[in-house]
Amino acid sequence: MSYYNREGLFNPAYHDSETLEIDRSPSRRSHHYNPYDRDSEPWQRGLTDWTPPEALPRYNEQGRYLGDSGEGNWRPTDHMAMGLVPHPNGSLRWQHNQGSVNAGYQADSAVDYITPPLEEQPPWAPHMGETLRQRGTRKMSLFPGGGVALGRLGITEEDVREEIQSGEQELVKELVAMSSRDQIQAMRVLQMSLQDKRHIRRQVLACKSSKRGLKLTCLTDCTEQVSRSFRRFGASMVSAKQAMTLWHGTIKEIGGKFGTSVLSYFLFLKWLLMFNVFSFVVNFGFITVPQLVQLPNRTDQINFRGLELLTGAGYFNQTVLYYGGYSNETIGDPPAYDMQLAYFFTIAAYLVLCGLSLIYSMARSFQKNFVLSASGNAWCLLCSWDFSITNVKAIRQRQNNLRVQLKESLSEKNQGFHMTMSEKLKQFGIHLGTWFISTGLAAASCAAIYFLCLGYLDSINDSQDSSLLTEASTLLLPFVVSLINLVIPLLYSLLSKIEKYSNPRTQIYVIILRNVFLKMGILGILCYYWMKILSNRITCWESIVGQDLYRLVIIDFIFLMLETFFGEFLHNIIGTKCLPSLGVPEFDIARNVLNLIYAQTLAWIGIYFSPLLPVLQMIKLFIMFYLKKVSLYQNCQPPRRYGRAAQMQTIFIALLFIPSFVGAVSMVAYTVWSLKPSAHCGPFQGLDTTFEAVVLWMERVNILNLPESMWAVWIFHNVIKSELFFYLISLIILVLIYFFWQITQGRKLLINLLREQIINEGKDKAFLLEKLQKLQKTMPTMASSQPAYTQMPQTYARIQEIEPDYEQDFQGLPGIPHPEEGSGPTGPPITSALIQAMLARKQAEEDEEEGY
Amino acid sequence: MHTGVFVKAWQTSVFRLFQRYRDLAPQVVPLDYTCQPDVKLPYQLISSMPELKDNPFRQRIAEVFSEDGNGNMTLDDFLDMFSVLSEMAPRDLKAYYAFKIYDFNNDDYICQRDLEKTLNKLTQNELSLGQVRMVCQKVIDEADLDNDGRLSLEDFQHMIAGAPDFLRWHKPPKTIL
Repeated sequence: MSYYNREGLFNPAYHDSETLEIDRSPSRRSHHYNPYDRDSEPWQRGLTDWTPPEALPRYNEQGRYLGDSGEGNWRPTDHMAMGLVPHPNGSLRWQHNQGSVNAGYQADSAVDYITPPLEEQPPWAPHMGETLRQRGTRKMSLFPGGGVALGRLGITEEDVREEIQSGEQELVKELVAMSSRDQIQAMRVLQMSLQDKRHIRRQVLACKSSKRGLKLTCLTDCTEQVSRSFRRFGASMVSAKQAMTLWHGTIKEIGGKFGTSVLSYFLFLKWLLMFNVFSFVVNFGFITVPQLVQLPNRTDQINFRGLELLTGAGYFNQTVLYYGGYSNETIGDPPAYDMQLAYFFTIAAYLVLCGLSLIYSMARSFQKNFVLSASGNAWCLLCSWDFSITNVKAIRQRQNNLRVQLKESLSEKNQGFHMTMSEKLKQFGIHLGTWFISTGLAAASCAAIYFLCLGYLDSINDSQDSSLLTEASTLLLPFVVSLINLVIPLLYSLLSKIEKYSNPRTQIYVIILRNVFLKMGILGILCYYWMKILSNRITCWESIVGQDLYRLVIIDFIFLMLETFFGEFLHNIIGTKCLPSLGVPEFDIARNVLNLIYAQTLAWIGIYFSPLLPVLQMIKLFIMFYLKKVSLYQNCQPPRRYGRAAQMQTIFIALLFIPSFVGAVSMVAYTVWSLKPSAHCGPFQGLDTTFEAVVLWMERVNILNLPESMWAVWIFHNVIKSELFFYLISLIILVLIYFFWQITQGRKLLINLLREQIINEGKDKAFLLEKLQKLQKTMPTMASSQPAYTQMPQTYARIQEIEPDYEQDFQGLPGIPHPEEGSGPTGPPITSALIQAMLARKQAEEDEEEGY
Repeated sequence: MHTGVFVKAWQTSVFRLFQRYRDLAPQVVPLDYTCQPDVKLPYQLISSMPELKDNPFRQRIAEVFSEDGNGNMTLDDFLDMFSVLSEMAPRDLKAYYAFKIYDFNNDDYICQRDLEKTLNKLTQNELSLGQVRMVCQKVIDEADLDNDGRLSLEDFQHMIAGAPDFLRWHKPPKTIL
């Protein structure tokens, strides 16, 4: 859009020149360029079908004239002359039709554009409107009643064409100066039709080729060729990547049928899947493959019975699925592969990378969706329509949603202040009660799980046999956990029906908060049980924890499937066949996303105890995607209440980071730094803590005293093990935070100032318009009799540019022979008003410049 | 030429759109476009496409992109429309065309009238006149930075800068421009 802003700069010399005719003569439509012809190459053709003999002179002359204007040596008198230059075609004849010739054209135009001539639209007006269809709006926004009124303002076809031509030349010149990449980008952003773009591009190419013609060598030609093919390669890679992206089409389809809020669930799922794929690749590559190469010495062979798939015990216990399946040996002769170090560093690296990527996406999303986000409800009307929806039902639903939302916000405004004290107290009481109940429920379920865990521990100690029944009894704990995860959220949503939140969004956030408390509470209790109780009593406790996690993941998956079936499928059947009042189930985004977050937390905690758990999670997510998709298509309707999709997404990412990822990492970190690994199995057997592996390694390196690895030892002692380093780092981070906070404050101040300035300019504009309207009223006859000169923006720009002479022109205005001149005292007041208006405008502009 | 393969990717997307265009009226649209036939498909055909069929703004979209302003489209207009609606189109461009779509009377401003029309389309005329007025007035009060009682393109752009949910355009083809 920026290109057309410059149309205001107008080159009079160019207008008066002969080139105008040359420029005008070739109709741009005549250079038809056919993109559908597949036989030849479009870019190439763009070069060839532009005939150089035509292109060359045009560019050269254009360049020369623009050069003139650049020096700024044209005089105001040129402008004066312009109105009088007898154009052979059109404008002068038109002036004659108006019945008056006048010299003070600035005054005329200033008056004229606010006083549309009364005649009908000239016959060419539709055409002009069409040509201007895509032209910059900013230009017109200077003038009230812009586009349509323009036709009535008496612009001649010539003027419009000239204006367009000059704008076009400017644009072409700018584009030519750019690098190819920028040029393509800039062309894309141009707000014009395909045809116009094509035209511009051809001109640009012509200019370029003519430029190059001067220094045409094989080398430049070759580099151009190469860079072009690289560019094209890049573009095709982008589209190929798009085509190969997982579920690309499906995701679009879902967006089209159910809107972006539902889509955000599926995108979130896909994102988690990517995390798990990465985690699997890393763990498998750096931990499992070396272990498999070494071939473990399995002591007792347990037969595979099938139940292992559910419990993860028995047969799996000896495999590389769990911590216990890995050895602490060093594989191979130098270069040796130390399993201890590999295990430690792989998991550490994965967690660090995960954390960085989470922080990055969270910060990005936060910045985009919260910091920049405007307050108020205006967006609701103009920005909320989801153009991606193509499904009738979804469209109706969305329209209903919007209507309800608007009605609610209207009624809120009416009712908001009518709440009495007792009502307020009552509401407060209800909220307090519901919070009490929900917290109580969460605490009760945590306690239940704790005692269940203790009982389960006793049963492990008691029975050492591996009968099917004992193995099946291990499923009780994950079953109860999943049941609680299923039932309590339902109770929560019942609770939320009792309490009435004025804002539906608050309601959604409250439900999310309660569910997060519940799920994290349960996981916290389980972690406490694993870390504090299990680790002291059982040999090879890491594998047991891994098994527990495996079972939790599996049973959670089964419950999710059941929930999809009963919650959505049966609900749908009952809602449509038996109880129409129940209705079709909605797709509950918040609940579904929270389930995903819970499952991912399990996978992250499990990464240390069961390095191949991501495989399970991958399969689970993959199946979930299709399951949810089918269920969504068959059973669900789009959610009735939805928050702002983008903000919800940010909140989900934040939830994934702050309780989920941070919790999992702190648990793994606690295990690594503080707990004693089991003495008889796993890679860290015989060590006091897992981290000791690194300490011992450093000592070994130190003893070897190799000069090339001394830096590692130095870093270990002076950075990782030194408190001073962490102290300094935290100090620096604190200082940086303070610094950035100060910058933010400064920016806020600046933003406020700029906003005020916009408002002031608006006032200026209003003031000027008022002045001009007054003027129009006081002198309607004079105004209507003036022949209109057009090109208002240019006129405007010029009036500002020639400010010193301008006043004189106006002083001279009454002197112009004019039929209305002697009829009354209207003359001088008008001029002074105009001058005042223009001066005010100029003042405003100066202020603006200073402001920036 | 070795770059031919890549050009093809670009061409196929245009060609696919051409096929879709032609499928709307196979007897009218010729297969051969080398001699630039003057073909226009009427709005009724354009609006029957699945992407537009149920969109409350279908008429406006067609009007904005058609050269004659009545929704009758040449192939160029058609390509134009899909290139703007494509997910690859720059956000600024989309914002510009969204503004045009909401600007029902083509005066380069979204005024109270335009807002009312928009609102009625969005809510299927089920709000009372008073409610509609109130909502529109509120929107203008909130978004009109320069206090001229209507929304210019700048106001609009400023508003969408604060609305990350903005612009979820309908099922787009691959990028074409």
